[in-house]
Amino acid sequence: MVNLTPAQAKERKIPFQALNKDQAALIDHLGDAIVPGAKKVGLSHYIDHQLSAKHADNLLILRYLRVNPPFDGFYASSLTAFERAVTRKYNKNPSELTESEMTDFITIMMQKNPEGWNDAPPAPFFYFVLRSDAIDVTYGTMAAFDSLDIPYMAHIDPTQTWENIP
Amino acid sequence: MSAFAEKTDVVIVGSGAAGSLMAAKLSKAGKKVIILEAGPERTLNDLISSQINARRLKWSGEPVQEKGAQPIGNVFNSGYGTGGSALHHYGVWPRLHTEDFNVKSLHGRSLDWPITYDDLRPYYDKIQQEVGISGDKASEIWRPEGDDYPLPPVPIFQQSEIIAKGFKNLGKRTSPLPLALNSRDYKGRPGCLWDGWCDAGCPTKALVNPLALYLPEAKKMGARVIHDATATRILTDNSGKKAVGVKYHTKEGIEVTQMADLVILAAFAVQNPRLLLNSADGGLANRSGLVGSYIMSHAAATVFGLFDQETEPYMGATGGQLLNQDSYDHKDQRDSGFGSYQWMIAQAVKPNDLLGFGGSNPALFGKKLTEFMKRAAQHFGGMTGCVEDLPLRENRVTLSADKDKFGMALASVAHTAHADSLALWQAAKAEGVEIFKAADAVQVWNGPLGPMHIMGGTIMGDDGEKSVTNSYGQCHDIDNLFIAGSGLFPTSGGVNPTFTVHALSLRSSEYIVKNWSSLT
Ligand SMILES: Cc1cc2nc3c(=O)[nH]c(=O)nc-3n(C[C@H](O)[C@H](O)[C@H](O)COP(=O)(O)OP(=O)(O)OC[C@H]3O[C@@H](n4cnc5c(N)ncnc54)[C@H](O)[C@@H]3O)c2cc1C
Ligand code: SF4
Repeated sequence: MVNLTPAQAKERKIPFQALNKDQAALIDHLGDAIVPGAKKVGLSHYIDHQLSAKHADNLLILRYLRVNPPFDGFYASSLTAFERAVTRKYNKNPSELTESEMTDFITIMMQKNPEGWNDAPPAPFFYFVLRSDAIDVTYGTMAAFDSLDIPYMAHIDPTQTWENIP
Repeated sequence: MSAFAEKTDVVIVGSGAAGSLMAAKLSKAGKKVIILEAGPERTLNDLISSQINARRLKWSGEPVQEKGAQPIGNVFNSGYGTGGSALHHYGVWPRLHTEDFNVKSLHGRSLDWPITYDDLRPYYDKIQQEVGISGDKASEIWRPEGDDYPLPPVPIFQQSEIIAKGFKNLGKRTSPLPLALNSRDYKGRPGCLWDGWCDAGCPTKALVNPLALYLPEAKKMGARVIHDATATRILTDNSGKKAVGVKYHTKEGIEVTQMADLVILAAFAVQNPRLLLNSADGGLANRSGLVGSYIMSHAAATVFGLFDQETEPYMGATGGQLLNQDSYDHKDQRDSGFGSYQWMIAQAVKPNDLLGFGGSNPALFGKKLTEFMKRAAQHFGGMTGCVEDLPLRENRVTLSADKDKFGMALASVAHTAHADSLALWQAAKAEGVEIFKAADAVQVWNGPLGPMHIMGGTIMGDDGEKSVTNSYGQCHDIDNLFIAGSGLFPTSGGVNPTFTVHALSLRSSEYIVKNWSSLT
């Protein structure tokens, strides 16, 4: 068993377990637009790892938010709705959006369901969840505290090994 | 598969705040005590300083279905495993006020407690001496009578000083926040280091969580904690008037019968009624039909701001540093709504998680968020209003049609706040914004309504037709069945509940010891 941080898992291209490649790419793309830096630190690997853990060990913020496990369907359906709604509005894939198109789309999705967003949790809720996940992985680590000039002052250091790769 | 365990004097369901205290007191009095804890065993070494790891401490037992306009947020507001919610609670421990006990008599609405503040006062005093509360009685001018705090107040960091000016400029007062954590070493437990990791559980024992004090005490006196043991049914004799034990399921799926002379339910406000409702047709100890009713949750009124000055927002305890209770007494004299609220000022914050500064303004994303995170790391300030939730019969725990893996119906909890509680929450938020402006915040904003603490569901009272237990938590219908915890509260007040949970649990323990032979 090798323990890796999400960023290391990303660097080493560790295969996903709960997400497929397209879902992971969408998570990274949208997550990074919401919280810049999230892709680099391994957002999709972080979510993938948490989704494949058993419920008691799943540390996603979704736990708090009155969504009962399993959580895979939450992300899968939201990502499908996201892709569909982007295509409906721009006739493009999410990865082809310009920065300002992406900004406009996120501004809509944080307030209401964009057109074509159906069979999924409400868009503002998905925005909130993905934003929180991205903040967790981008700003919730010892390295991130350091970069913000916040003393970490741990009683017990976190392992930061959210990836347990067999 | 099933098994029978050796009979014990007392079986307690739940190892949180109430269960651990009662286990310590009853085992000290010579009773053989077994605690059943549904969640896993946790030790102080498991309390890793990380907001992500901290989520491991949250409720991960059988799902609770939530309904209503203001759901109670069961997962965020409950713990699971050794120490329960109390293992990662923040230790803000104010007392209820005199008026909280007589709201119905005084105002013709809400409910009365079957006891007065004076009945509980000696227990507040005893508990604070035992656990060590840091505070300053003299400047906490709103506090009802009682002994001085045994420990000096917690230190004030920049964030407090800056926000306190806002209160002062508006003619409002602040005092040190009473915290159940050590401002200096106390009875063998160390002083706090002001690092703000309380939400992840304090591993040093500076904060009074069950692993710091009452559970070790209980174990020392011979009490045994059985983990991964989910109580599924309270057993009674044929008359249904005497409890004889508890059935529980182990992780391995074995159904164990634990016989006992006395049963205490300390499984928190949602699971206690769930157990009672699952234990008999129409619910056990439910002559009143009120098992599950009057579930309450304080509405959190959050106020956030950015200041020109550096605020050191990472310093201090998670619970905060200062208190204001100017809007507490005379519940009928608020400009809007009805009830009491207090401000907990200058919580130590981290960047991430629901209560982190990153989550405070969800509308920010992209470059603006990056800029905000950098600035907030040094210039953020926040405070939280704890707003009274009026008790409503229809806010209740019922049994769902869905069952868990043991065949036990899941809990469904409906909660919609009273219009006057919502109005009070709105007013508190608006007041908070004014205070931050008066403190020269360069930006101020509010968060959405967040539920905080869970109370009610098995309320105490004098009348067996209108309440589930008497003032000792003894079920009106079953003499040797007790309930402990915040589920007993008939009203929520506008203060954090756990000091009162401790005071009530101590009072119940003494009652049980004194009346042991007639109870069993
Ligand atoms: C994040 C957070 C911060 C808080 N901060 C404060 C604060 O600053 N001040 C304050 O006054 N209060 C605070 N609280 C509230 C405080 O934690 C609770 O009021 C207190 O813990 C309630 O005590 P209890 O013993 O009733 O329940 P708990 O402490 O929750 O213990 C109940 C235990 O019962 C177990 N259980 C449940 N069902 C079963 C079953 N069927 N079988 C066996 N075991 C079972 C649970 O797993 C749990 O361990 C906070 C709570 C949270 C979550
Ligand atoms: S701030 Fe104090 S009470 Fe909180 S975790 Fe650190 S030492 Fe413990």
